[in-house]
Amino acid sequence: MERSPGSCRILIAGTGGQGVITAAHLLADFFVQRGRKVVSGQLHGMAQRGGAVQATVMIDCGIGPQLSSGGADVVLGLEPVETARALPSISSKTTVFMNTAAVIPYLLSLQYVLGEKSAHYPSIEELQQAIRGATSRLVVLDATALAKRAGSIRTVNVVMLGCLFGSGLLGIAAEQFLDAFMRTAPPRLADVNRQAYLYGVESGESLAVSKEAQ
Amino acid sequence: MGTALAHEILQNSPGLTACLLGNLAIVRGALEAGVQLCTCYPGTPASEVGDTLGRIAADADIHFEYSINEKVAVEVAFGACLAGARTLSSMKHLGVNYAGDPLSTMPYVGVEGGMVIVSAGDPSAITSPNEQDQRHLSPSLFYPILDPATPQDALDMTRFGFELSEQTRLPVILRPTTRVCHTGGMVEFGSLPEKKREIAFEKDPSRYVPIPINARRMRQELIERYARAAELLSRSGFFPRTGEGKHGIVASGVGYAYASQAIHDLGIADRVSLLQIGGYPIPGRILDDFVRSVESILVVEELTPFVEERVTLAAFHADRRIPIYGKRSRHFPLAGEYDPDLVEDALRTYLGLAKRERPAVPVPDLPPRPPVLCPGCPHRTSFYYVRKIFGKQTVYCNDIGCYTLGYGEPLHSCDLLLCMGASISQATAIARVTGERTVAYLGDSTFFHSGLTPLANAVTNGDKVTVIVLNNYVTAMTGFQPSIAAQADAPSPPVGEGRRSAGLSIEQAARGLGVQEVFSVDQFDEESTVAALRQVKTGDGVNVVIFNSACVVHEKQLGVYRKRRQFAIDQEACTQCSLCIRMLGCPAIHVHEERFYIDENLCEGCGLCVRVCKQHAILR
Ligand code: SF4
Ligand code: SF4
Repeated sequence: MERSPGSCRILIAGTGGQGVITAAHLLADFFVQRGRKVVSGQLHGMAQRGGAVQATVMIDCGIGPQLSSGGADVVLGLEPVETARALPSISSKTTVFMNTAAVIPYLLSLQYVLGEKSAHYPSIEELQQAIRGATSRLVVLDATALAKRAGSIRTVNVVMLGCLFGSGLLGIAAEQFLDAFMRTAPPRLADVNRQAYLYGVESGESLAVSKEAQ
Repeated sequence: MGTALAHEILQNSPGLTACLLGNLAIVRGALEAGVQLCTCYPGTPASEVGDTLGRIAADADIHFEYSINEKVAVEVAFGACLAGARTLSSMKHLGVNYAGDPLSTMPYVGVEGGMVIVSAGDPSAITSPNEQDQRHLSPSLFYPILDPATPQDALDMTRFGFELSEQTRLPVILRPTTRVCHTGGMVEFGSLPEKKREIAFEKDPSRYVPIPINARRMRQELIERYARAAELLSRSGFFPRTGEGKHGIVASGVGYAYASQAIHDLGIADRVSLLQIGGYPIPGRILDDFVRSVESILVVEELTPFVEERVTLAAFHADRRIPIYGKRSRHFPLAGEYDPDLVEDALRTYLGLAKRERPAVPVPDLPPRPPVLCPGCPHRTSFYYVRKIFGKQTVYCNDIGCYTLGYGEPLHSCDLLLCMGASISQATAIARVTGERTVAYLGDSTFFHSGLTPLANAVTNGDKVTVIVLNNYVTAMTGFQPSIAAQADAPSPPVGEGRRSAGLSIEQAARGLGVQEVFSVDQFDEESTVAALRQVKTGDGVNVVIFNSACVVHEKQLGVYRKRRQFAIDQEACTQCSLCIRMLGCPAIHVHEERFYIDENLCEGCGLCVRVCKQHAILR
């Protein structure tokens, strides 16, 4: 498959309320300002009501609004099951960043009380293994814990973006995104967001180091 | 940006490139065309068109309204264009059905100022009850229809649509689909006009009144005007052809984006000729030239084989017996939206390329995550009490809104569903033929959209129907657009302000239509709720209960929300009877290692579970 140099297809996956679409907007704006051509797709039927949400950010890849199977270069998984749901887009060339903190689907509790005792949330190990079956490039972090430490659970998406830039995968210095981000972030939330991003960068840097050691 | 502009799409900076959502590109196109009046009824995937127009209307000097329904939206926009204004009316695909009556005669009468109707399609019915193909409106009702593949197309076509409309005097439909509406793509801004059109209504009844004698003349004129649309489309630039290969590919809508992406990725540009179909009626010349220049054709289009049939006809008329592939040949499925894999596979088959190797990655069983009523949603409380009083046997007819989520486990509050407003008609019908009282559920927006007429019909017929209006003061499902339902019905203080209109009273409307028994209550008040429901259950004929409680999510957005209380489950008292989950399905309550918990971050403190728990295990 031909790709123009520097092109990159990013898939962001999570649940309603985790800020998937916001993260996609931030990335898209950042790359557009750097003169890149971006196409960004969203799928979010009723995101508000807690459903699964995916968004793509495709940089210098043409006009197609959707990924083909195995077509993601990067997957940012804001939630473990949602990361695994992105498997059709993952190939051996994909780097996957996965938040290990689960958002348990409410349906499981309902199925449990209705007698489907086998319905369960897969273990994180199980999910990691499934993803490793497709790619060895999997980095995991507890982004939710970092977001809480930064001051708001709502910054999971920002932690994940920090991790992506911190890993050096995109070849762009982490501060560059931070500068652009801080120019648009509402002042009230600037400190929490900066802290969340920096925690993400830190874990991205250390994860990248351990990856090289592999 | 740095300027005081209300929105980036208001910038007058021709040549600027930006990444815009397809729906925003449509708005930009309308601004560049100098649109003067816009109407909309919210519906996914078109909602952001109206929402954005509403936000910028004052700055852009546009008359804007969230109309009461699509029929009115189209009629208002059409009326204004007869006075010379350029107008736009936006809705989802199904909206054109509700507006079908005016739509069918508007082309006869014809416009003065240009009119563009945005009707966003939903292949695969992602957020709709069906995936109707609006392109058939072109030949049947004489509409030029523009079919964008990308946000740039959406911008250019919207702007061009106004020209096309004025030159043919036909209203024009823009038909984007979900993947265009909700895709951000690069667009280049054109300039904003310095002057808008003059407004003046000049009386000319023979021109504007389609009584039969005029209608017959208008029908004759339509033949020429519709033909002129094809001619203008042929020079529009929306039918680009790339490549000179003998394998022809004809693609429309987002199918064109997938096809051109696949041609690039497969490196087959020298073997194919790709023709985009950017609108309808497809200019005859364009198809004729194309069928003569290739040895075979693959048609890439979602929904029905609309283009495929026209390509086949064109080949027949050109006396070209070449193979034409598409849906009929099963290169593509007849139903559902396309995706890049589907299109690439079809192209490989068509060109005789090797099948794509796809390493089979086993995907583990993953728990699904369907949408669910929010924690603290007032609809859950309404469903709970109504079922408590009316029981399992009653037939519950539901309608279009968040409350459709009353479907299935555990609320069992949706036995029938059809379209906007049908809850009341269906409840009427079931009650009349079974002799049993039925319940109709619909929201405040839907009530005024299309609930008044079936309610009047039920009153006239004396049907044994209880209509429950779930008034949450907002059109929640499509993105919290304002509802015209009044605070007048609200027993509690208003839930914020700003986007709320003066408001109409549901209660007075029901009484005005002759309903004798009307209750307006807060469903979180158990006593009055149960009393009202007991009363209507044994009442005569049609009666109405209005449940007034604001949508929690909307209250949060308005910044007027305050969490009522915080509940937790006392593990000592809880017997794991599971009633709370089995009855309510509140996502804040969950089971973990056989114990029941309330997630303090999710619980809104509505207090419903407290009433359900017989062990009194749920405490503050
Ligand atoms: S958005 Fe509002 S009305 Fe819709 S489910 Fe949530 S709380 Fe209920
Ligand atoms: S009080 Fe009970 S039903 Fe209401 S939101 Fe909290 S957990 Fe859900």
